[in-house]
Amino acid sequence: MPMTDNSAGKTGATPEGVRARDRLALLTADNAAVPLPAGVQAITAILLAVLLIALPWLGLGYRFLSIAITTLYTAIGLYGLGLQFGQAGIMSVGHAALMGVGAYASAILSVQLGLGFWTSLPFAMALSAIVGGVIGLPTLRVGGQHYIIITFCFCALFVIVLTNGGTFTGSATGLDVGSVTPLPGINFDKLSNNYYLVLAALFLALAATYLIGISRYGRTLRAIRENEQLARSVGINVDLHKLGVLMVSGLFAGLAGVLQLYYLRHISPTLFGAFPSLYLALMVMLGGARYLYGPLIGAVVVNFLPEVLNLDPVDSRIAYGVCLLLVILLLPGGVGAGIKNICCAIRGGSETQVGGSNGRA
Amino acid sequence: MRQLGLGLTMAAAGLAMALQTARADEELPIGVIAAQSGSFVSAGNTIVGAANLAAQQINDAGGIKVGDKTYKIKLYIRDNRTDVNVSIAAARELVNDIGVKAIWGTETHDFSVSMAKITGPAKVLQFSGNSSLGAVLDDKAVAEGGWLHYTFQSEPQEWQRSGSTAKGVLSLLTPQLKSPPKHSVVFVGNDATGQYLSSHYVKALEAEGQKVDLVQYPPDTTDFSPLLTRIKGMKPDIVHFWYNGDSTLTAFPQALKLGVAPSYFLFGVDPGIYQERSLKADVPVTMSCVPVCWGSSPYPEVKQYFDKYFGLGAAKGPQSSVSLLYYDYFFWYAKALEKVGKIDDPDAVVAELLKSDYKGVVSPVPLVFNKHHQVTFATEVCMVEPNTSDKFKCAVEQPPAAPPPGDNGG
Repeated sequence: MPMTDNSAGKTGATPEGVRARDRLALLTADNAAVPLPAGVQAITAILLAVLLIALPWLGLGYRFLSIAITTLYTAIGLYGLGLQFGQAGIMSVGHAALMGVGAYASAILSVQLGLGFWTSLPFAMALSAIVGGVIGLPTLRVGGQHYIIITFCFCALFVIVLTNGGTFTGSATGLDVGSVTPLPGINFDKLSNNYYLVLAALFLALAATYLIGISRYGRTLRAIRENEQLARSVGINVDLHKLGVLMVSGLFAGLAGVLQLYYLRHISPTLFGAFPSLYLALMVMLGGARYLYGPLIGAVVVNFLPEVLNLDPVDSRIAYGVCLLLVILLLPGGVGAGIKNICCAIRGGSETQVGGSNGRA
Repeated sequence: MRQLGLGLTMAAAGLAMALQTARADEELPIGVIAAQSGSFVSAGNTIVGAANLAAQQINDAGGIKVGDKTYKIKLYIRDNRTDVNVSIAAARELVNDIGVKAIWGTETHDFSVSMAKITGPAKVLQFSGNSSLGAVLDDKAVAEGGWLHYTFQSEPQEWQRSGSTAKGVLSLLTPQLKSPPKHSVVFVGNDATGQYLSSHYVKALEAEGQKVDLVQYPPDTTDFSPLLTRIKGMKPDIVHFWYNGDSTLTAFPQALKLGVAPSYFLFGVDPGIYQERSLKADVPVTMSCVPVCWGSSPYPEVKQYFDKYFGLGAAKGPQSSVSLLYYDYFFWYAKALEKVGKIDDPDAVVAELLKSDYKGVVSPVPLVFNKHHQVTFATEVCMVEPNTSDKFKCAVEQPPAAPPPGDNGG
């Protein structure tokens, strides 16, 4: 599988450049000992799609379906975080604020200009992407924990601005919107239709994540993640790629935020503060940021665990903490990696991590 | 013989089915959504406590006679875990899966508003004790077809509560101070409820002739000393700790240590809690409950209520009195159902609630819903004598007739 990147340009023409490119290729190569066959991957995808599409028909009740919707729009936001963390290695603990930018943009457009769901959606997503890029500017100079602190500060600042934004942001009380504008024959007030709307968005997010993962762009991001200096030395425009992935992540967050807004139909600053952001980071780490289904798994675990085990918030936090420790110690790649390992063990292989064409996004 | 046996079996089965049907028909499903875990648990538990007590009393008294049937209340209580997503999921379950006729809850403005978007279209009545609902309960929202047509605010409008409280605080503190108080500082958490409540309370104090400064603290603050030191520099006559009782109980001892003001007002701290914690101050301290104190009640009905409420195992806490924002409405709703004669006509029940009144425990004056589905009653304020923890003097000042200048009432 070719792992070099054309964006390396002419730097790779020298013998040193060639060696650097080879090293880079090794770093980002699929190190799967036993790759899963494409058929297995396809069957997995089809089974998952069928299960998700059939969910409203399984008679699990409105409560279950409601939590499923919450899980799905959370997962959409997580796919953005998964891209920037799993692919480019840029962690954020302020991702809920980025979802909030989308949600508030859409709500303000609805309240001030009367724009509905469909018309406000592109603006909200675009604004989230721009804000994602603007917050990302410091990553060009700082990285790692410094950027994490910056995202945390952004999150806190965002809540303060919303809380003190007067009638424009609805202050701490928040803003209300109506239903999703119906499409011909489809009324989104019906919960199952709302579910399918969010599910369609999730499929888009999954598809986009998969395509980015297997593309040259995805490989370039992984090269940056593995060794930024090396990537820069072979001519990759690291800054541009970093900003790019943060903007793509912002797009996902904006979409998730608007879906959240129109599901709740009322938003307030507390939804987009530090705590929800930390939960998003927890979910993506639990599920596995580098795996295609990792963010979805993380969202399912965190949203459904308290339901299934009837845990109160305190018990839930303890359980999440224990899970996170176990994942870090035993499954560094997240639950997604664990499931992969089990699949490979069943097939007799020793694979621990798979590449873009084999489940890893 | 075999035919006789078969016939008897079928008759028995038919009778059992009929009895089962009759029993099912006599159940009135009512939902309760409240925080039984998470950060709002102290308020949420009071809703559940009130609901359990009211349902038990109504059922023990024979149930609700609607037409020619008698209904027993069946409560479906759901813990929202202080999470809006769980609140919504619970509301969906109660409305769509179980088919409740009415829902009581929640303790939080945001959750109640999101819930109303589910209960409204389903024509399920909702009783929420959030005074901040006044911001959305307008002519259009409560009109037939409006999204809040089936929602009732079981707490007075905030300008009424603020007016009643401000009058009570000043009437009790003025004789205790060397000169009439002129300068108040309102110290409040900067969150949705805090912003909304304090905006009205500031106007209510100003209407009583006070010069008011507003100082806000971030939610979840535990060290209040920097802000309290700043307040001390303002030289206030009264510091009003508004509105979060739990935060107040953390901030108040810090204020006493710093000697911030010559008098204080603690919103949402019951005299019972003040006494239980053996709090003492060398200056006069007033406190109010939401809406009537369990630790020093002026009404015998309220005392009886709290004896029964705590008798069911409810915990004594700073917010126990919040249960009174929910209790009376079970009886009022039952009365409306009996009057309408049908349980499946929510529009008629709404109309009946709007034109009827109910003499409940929370107020000696009968409760009435105004055109925006809001009730009116007074707030009790008590003062503890300096250097004591258990000597209280209480006042109940009726709310003003109209919002004060600068307060739009919403």
